[in-house]
Amino acid sequence: MTPAAAARPDAWRRMAGDWSPWHDRGGRLSPLRGGVFALALAPGLWLALALAGAFGPLALGAEPIHEAEHLTGLWALRFLLLSLALTPLRRITGWGRLAQVRRMIGLTAFAYAAAHFGLYAVEQQLQPLRIASEIVQRLYLAIGFTALLAFAALAATSFDRAIRRLGANWRRLHRLAYAIAVLGLAHYALQEKLDVAEPAFLFGLFAALMLHRTPLGLAPGRAFPEARILGAAILAAALTAFSEYAWHATLTGLPAERILAANLDLAAGRPAVLVLAAAAIPALIPLGRRLLSLARPREIAHEAR
Amino acid sequence: MHFHRRPSWHIPEREVTPERVFLDRRAVLAGLGFAGVAAASGLGVARPAAARPAGEAWTPAPPLDPAYADAGRAITPEAVSGSYNNFYEFGTHKGIADAAQKLPSDPWTLQIEGHAARAGEIGLEDLLAKMPVQERVYRHRCVEAWSMVVPWIGFPLAELVKWAEPTSAAKYVRFETLSDEKTMPGIRQSWYPWPYVEGVTIEEALNPLPFMVTGAYGKVLPKQFGAPIRLHLPWKYGFKSAKSVIRISFVEEQPMGFWQELQGSEYGFWANVNPEFSHPRWSQAQERVLGTGDEAPTVIWNGYGEEVAGLYKDMDLSKRGLWF
Ligand code: HEM
Repeated sequence: MTPAAAARPDAWRRMAGDWSPWHDRGGRLSPLRGGVFALALAPGLWLALALAGAFGPLALGAEPIHEAEHLTGLWALRFLLLSLALTPLRRITGWGRLAQVRRMIGLTAFAYAAAHFGLYAVEQQLQPLRIASEIVQRLYLAIGFTALLAFAALAATSFDRAIRRLGANWRRLHRLAYAIAVLGLAHYALQEKLDVAEPAFLFGLFAALMLHRTPLGLAPGRAFPEARILGAAILAAALTAFSEYAWHATLTGLPAERILAANLDLAAGRPAVLVLAAAAIPALIPLGRRLLSLARPREIAHEAR
Repeated sequence: MHFHRRPSWHIPEREVTPERVFLDRRAVLAGLGFAGVAAASGLGVARPAAARPAGEAWTPAPPLDPAYADAGRAITPEAVSGSYNNFYEFGTHKGIADAAQKLPSDPWTLQIEGHAARAGEIGLEDLLAKMPVQERVYRHRCVEAWSMVVPWIGFPLAELVKWAEPTSAAKYVRFETLSDEKTMPGIRQSWYPWPYVEGVTIEEALNPLPFMVTGAYGKVLPKQFGAPIRLHLPWKYGFKSAKSVIRISFVEEQPMGFWQELQGSEYGFWANVNPEFSHPRWSQAQERVLGTGDEAPTVIWNGYGEEVAGLYKDMDLSKRGLWF
């Protein structure tokens, strides 16, 4: 803090509002931002400690670097999807403050992606030529690398000054987040040995989020939010089942029809079923609201305002 | 040239793990004339006691084959190798050791089938009584570019083949793994072509290197390694080495392996370790040595060329990469 800033508490507050992960823009302590920051750090901290051997030699299994590489890749994609989920979540909950954590979550996703690449580089003995030749030879790595470059462009333009300077272009540029998610999902699916159930699950969640950006989805003023959420969940589940089927029918030797049929066995926990459940659960929020407002119409109407 | 004893990846003595201590004890036995080679004459053949549970000490300790006393690298600690197992019958990830404890490995009967005079059923204990049980330390190279070193107890597959007396119609040996829906949760994933099948040519089977494994680390084979009896083909990628074998068939046609059927572009019939021939998604030029954090260059035939290269002298290495 400069002496001048110390003399003016307002300046300090504004600085904290710009830079501190646990303050809001007004410089007030924000439990939401603080909580999300802790959530963002937790897996990385755990991984770093596990790699340092704090939880015993086998906490990350027989190949710690390899396992950490996988986990960071997963966290990158999870946080990226979470950042894309904020808008629909805000519309469901009416919780405008969620916008305050979007940048943090996006940057977290990038940090995990960068760590993921770093761990890959370590695994390749930090030999630049070897890393480069692998990336150009393997389609799934070329896709991951493209995603990482785009990610870096977003991270580099995630500061107030860049946002102001880019103006309308900033929004356009940051639509790359969708492309990064698509590339990340493709990279994830392509690196699987055979069964793409896990990437298919995240693909389904992504599909549900995208559906909420269409006229079918949630938006301010649109009626029947619970029906829209349910509808998107059902469509996303169907897309998941179909994509999984198409993937195996064209790219692997697994019998695609059997995998499709396995969706009927709910207990098998196939990705389409999990997508349906995960994407439909938020419908409980508007549904609950509606039931409550039927019971106590005036009070709720007042709160909602 | 003793290729497998002067490898480029030889590790300095100081890195050798304490497991060496336990092996040295065996080495003494071997030195006293209890070697596996002597076993053929009936000397020093370790007879297992009647059925024992997986994981129990193998007593008396079988002789250590001096030709395979030292794999040129530290033995992978059992805590590592025993917690990192591809065994899809129990799950698609490698942490299946706990789930695998349900495997009904005792008692165990092997079916010998096809073109062989001794086709029929044989209990594992009876079979072991006929075989020269010994210990061998082998390097294991997984197609996923990791490797480990395990002290196996078992007997050469060639001894079993000779005992079974295959006829001239037998061109291949087919191995089939137990497929038991009650104890193996993976079997419920009906889209996999259970049971797990693998195969080798009869010439490969008669080579002295393939090992029928019934123990590891001085113990009756722990279940996650494929108890109570599995194959190990140390010059081939790991998926060729079928676990928990219940059926051995002498057949005319090349068997279709589990992975080959699922993804022939990644898992060929030969699957001989070859650093020159990449997997579609990664280079096979190096391997991550489990439990060390280090990488080592992969050697053709996993360094067992002295024993097995002759099997492939008529094949065009450059084209096929010993893969398909
Ligand atoms: C240059 C960039 C990248 C490289 C070199 C890279 C490399 C890798 C490698 C080597 C694997 C494991 C493959 C295997 O074991 O067979 C992997 C898995 C994965 N990567 Fe990347 N990656 C990159 C970028 C990304 C990005 C940007 C994302 C996310 C948006 C991502 C998400 C994932 C995920 C989710 C997995 C699977 C993790 C699991 O096993 O569950 N990667 N990546």
